[in-house]
Amino acid sequence: MNEYTLADLSEGLAHSFTALVTEQMVDGFARLSGDVNPLHTDDAFAQALGHPGRVAHGLLVAGFFSTLVGLHLPGKHALLHGVDAQFHRPVYPGDTLTVSGEVSHVSAAARQVEIKAKITNQRGETVCKATLKVGLNA
Amino acid sequence: MTQAEIIERIQSILRDVLDLDDLAVSRATTAPTVDGWDSLAHINIIVAMEKDFGVRFALGELEDLKNVGDMVDLVLRKTGG
Repeated sequence: MNEYTLADLSEGLAHSFTALVTEQMVDGFARLSGDVNPLHTDDAFAQALGHPGRVAHGLLVAGFFSTLVGLHLPGKHALLHGVDAQFHRPVYPGDTLTVSGEVSHVSAAARQVEIKAKITNQRGETVCKATLKVGLNA
Repeated sequence: MTQAEIIERIQSILRDVLDLDDLAVSRATTAPTVDGWDSLAHINIIVAMEKDFGVRFALGELEDLKNVGDMVDLVLRKTGG
């Protein structure tokens, strides 16, 4: 876990990591959130809509921004203020995602940084983009 | 920049951050009188002002802000207006 403080952060600082989306994750998110829409739970329903199989929840995918902020950028001293995310492409169980973020603005007075974040799949296609606002406790 | 122009830009920022399309502010407007202007909103307002006016505030500069009028005067000082 990184431990960047506000003083350590500057525009351009970037981090990334990879994550595999599993069937268990999608099942778990459906259970946790209560979103058991058949798009996420029924392969046949999803295939009838043109998908190869069931689709991972958008907020499961965006949940990896929590990992980015809480573990990598800035890490330990983070307090997530806001997430403005757009979902560009569906994600399916078995996809390997690369989650990346770069500091785009640092406000010392507000003790907040803005991070431009992106998630791509194993084909390099963008599946999700977001602007993250993160407060610093140190 | 004139005071009127700064107030108009701050009003626009407040409308956007607070999602209050019809909000009208004056120099006398204070945070407690505006719906949703809590501590998190205040952080986002400060950052939006830094970006909009192209300035960087120091922590000490924000402690004495009591109303929108004080924000206008601070922007004038920072921009040399």
